[in-house]
Amino acid sequence: MNTSKFVAKRLGQLVLVLLGVTLVTFLVSHVVPGDPARMLIGQRADEQTLAAMRQALGLDKPVWIQYLNYLWGLIHGDLGTSIRTQRPVLNELLSFFPATVELTLFAMGFAVSIGILLGLLSATFRDTLTDHATRILAILGVSTPLFWLGLMALLLFYKYLGWLPGSGRLDPLINPPTHITGLYVVDSLISGDWIALKSSILHLVLPSLCLGYIQLATIARLVRASMIEVLELDYIKTASANGIPRSRIIYRHALRNALIPTVTIIGLTFGELLGGAILTETIFAWPGMGKFVVDSISFLDFPAIMGFTLVVATVYVLINMVVDLLYPLLDPQIKGVH
Amino acid sequence: MKRILVLALCVFTLFGLAGCAQSANTPQTASKQDQPLVIATSADLGSIDPAVAMDNAAWKISYPAYDRLVNFKGSSTDVEPSLAKSWDISADGLTWTFHLRDDVKFADGTPLDAAAVKFSFDRLLKIKKGPSDAFPSLENVTAVDKNTVLFKLKTVFPPFLSTLATNGGGIVNPAVMKHEKDADMGQNWLATTTAGSGAYVLAEWVPEQSLKLTVNPNYWGSKPKLNTIIIKIVKDPSAQRMALEKGDVDVAENIPVDQLKELKKNPDLTIFETPSLMVDYVYLNTQKAGLKNPKVRQAISYAVDYQGIIDNVWQGNATQMRGPIPNGLWGYQPDLLQYSRNVEKAKALLQEAGVNNLTLNFMYSDRKPWWEQEAQIIQSNLADIGIKVNLQKIAYAAQREKIDKGDFDLTIGVWSPDYADPYMFMNYWFDSKNFGLAGNRAFYKNDEVDKLVRKAASINNQTERIELYKQAQQLIMQDAPYVFLVQKKYQLPMRKSVQGFVFNPMLEDMYNFQAMSK
Repeated sequence: MNTSKFVAKRLGQLVLVLLGVTLVTFLVSHVVPGDPARMLIGQRADEQTLAAMRQALGLDKPVWIQYLNYLWGLIHGDLGTSIRTQRPVLNELLSFFPATVELTLFAMGFAVSIGILLGLLSATFRDTLTDHATRILAILGVSTPLFWLGLMALLLFYKYLGWLPGSGRLDPLINPPTHITGLYVVDSLISGDWIALKSSILHLVLPSLCLGYIQLATIARLVRASMIEVLELDYIKTASANGIPRSRIIYRHALRNALIPTVTIIGLTFGELLGGAILTETIFAWPGMGKFVVDSISFLDFPAIMGFTLVVATVYVLINMVVDLLYPLLDPQIKGVH
Repeated sequence: MKRILVLALCVFTLFGLAGCAQSANTPQTASKQDQPLVIATSADLGSIDPAVAMDNAAWKISYPAYDRLVNFKGSSTDVEPSLAKSWDISADGLTWTFHLRDDVKFADGTPLDAAAVKFSFDRLLKIKKGPSDAFPSLENVTAVDKNTVLFKLKTVFPPFLSTLATNGGGIVNPAVMKHEKDADMGQNWLATTTAGSGAYVLAEWVPEQSLKLTVNPNYWGSKPKLNTIIIKIVKDPSAQRMALEKGDVDVAENIPVDQLKELKKNPDLTIFETPSLMVDYVYLNTQKAGLKNPKVRQAISYAVDYQGIIDNVWQGNATQMRGPIPNGLWGYQPDLLQYSRNVEKAKALLQEAGVNNLTLNFMYSDRKPWWEQEAQIIQSNLADIGIKVNLQKIAYAAQREKIDKGDFDLTIGVWSPDYADPYMFMNYWFDSKNFGLAGNRAFYKNDEVDKLVRKAASINNQTERIELYKQAQQLIMQDAPYVFLVQKKYQLPMRKSVQGFVFNPMLEDMYNFQAMSK
């Protein structure tokens, strides 16, 4: 199967996945007791006001009609109106999405680069002090709760040392850079806004390191394991016997093969990071989708909850598709897996 | 090599775009009076339209951005003139005439006149959301001339003057109609912006991040000392605490009671403390078979360890309620019956009622962090008198729905008055017309009490009303439809440099920004 056919098939599957996601989320959010109309009109309003509000929100219709209405809107690119904020969900998500993406990308960059490096060091200097130290670091990462890590990082780097800001994306007195991509770092770079650039990078450090650390640990452990496995293989021994320098064997011959399972994990990691971002955003007051959806959940604002779920599901499926497309680049032998 | 070229090309393209974009920041040096007051709060706000917004968090913005005919005076429950210089009441108490100041302009420079007042109340009643509930008897508003406006009531409504000081009574610039969409009277537009004549205007709102208020250049009152107020959204209480201790925020709203003790030791901070009118109480569903008998309800009221709750949950920062009306609001009865823990008496009452092996569900949510602890204490208190309590924690939205439908045995809630009148407690909580979320959450019905509270709501004479409410309270304490737990102390940690904050119990979590400084 060629690449374009593969992509088309995957996109077709995406539609099915999303349909399933909308159905499940819709059902779950409507089975849960609680009435968003009540939340909106305040606690002392009378029945008449409540009925008017339910009608205005379309909540008076049967659930399946509400669902079909929702799907109809979806086809037309309309994700509905947030019950809590009374603004279109699409606009809300678009305004929060860049913040989450920026955080996730930085966390990912950190986790992948340092994770691979540590895994590599660990495997190459197996059973030495470097290896043990790296492994302890990795085990800590896998087993540390994110909220605790976040608070400790805040305590140390923000409160006691005062090196880094503790909350938000920018200093409140600095105007956000001109909106181009919504990623502050990129936008301030493009518009040459050095003040905003400095502030946004400083604000990114703590949340992205905390968010990335846990994935870093997973990646480091995986790279170590597959490197060790690969280094035992015959072709490496052959290369060694042929007198090829060890550094060249490791970087040229072994690492490339060891990275194949890692790429899969990195793809999955992206999804986990998006999910983990909810917690990180709460601790670091990062104005992304996570904070938005937490507030929406407590309000039972189902258009917003569904919009968020849809976006995350889409991103997840797309990322995995990209990962599958990357395999042949890493390993020319893999052609028929699609 | 090819990849590097592609990468370089990308970078150059990005910089190429730089020509189209203007830098939003220039290096700046801030002078002392430009130092903003920064307030940390835990959640972003919903609509800030005065005709829509129903929570104090949103009122934090709209209250200082709009003016009302009258305002709550300082920290008292009285009102003082604001847009209205003076007012007259007709002999039958149904017609109120207000004489307006003639020097008031909206932030956009247009004059605020009687027509704008009429427009605002017509709009409020037409939109008919939560805030309009405070004006149940308002028939119509007429602009007599430029500076005179007349309010006609359907029935006598004693709290009327006080309700004019609520956030819903804010006067809105009629120019909002230019932004009307789908006959929404500008609701969509006003949800995220301000159009009033108050001391401040909303200058910027970055969702889930911060809101910025700046001084209204056309403000008629004395010029505020603070040029900029920033409300910063910091969800995590520990992060708030750190930001406060570091001085990155000046006020932190959501620090739990148990951490305030630590903060008191910090020489840069002060904890603002004052009694509030916010009460925390348990609803007993009087319609449920097990709770129909007043003796059982009295037994529950006797079983609860009020002092234990005050000491452990509140660390001493609360007082036990004495009847429904909190201390500090007129109508409070200092000699009313107050239940205290008496296990023997409680057991005897249960025996008299012929009740044994009673099992009850106690429903609560995580809306207030202290509810879980209180529920656990009450569970063990009731176990002492042989009542088995199952705790049931559910989502806040679900809790509200079940309260409204009466689908619970015991549950818990907080209440604070929007305006300074015992009506907010007595008529909401006990009139059998208000079953459910509307206010009578114990589904309590006593014909005598109905008669007394309705009579008290139909006359303007305060002395007579106090007497009627007193009689009602005595009956209520015997019927024990609620467990009257505690009246909360209001505590707000802030930097020592913050000056001029005045707390008004009707305006909890709100600020008198125009008189504050830093």
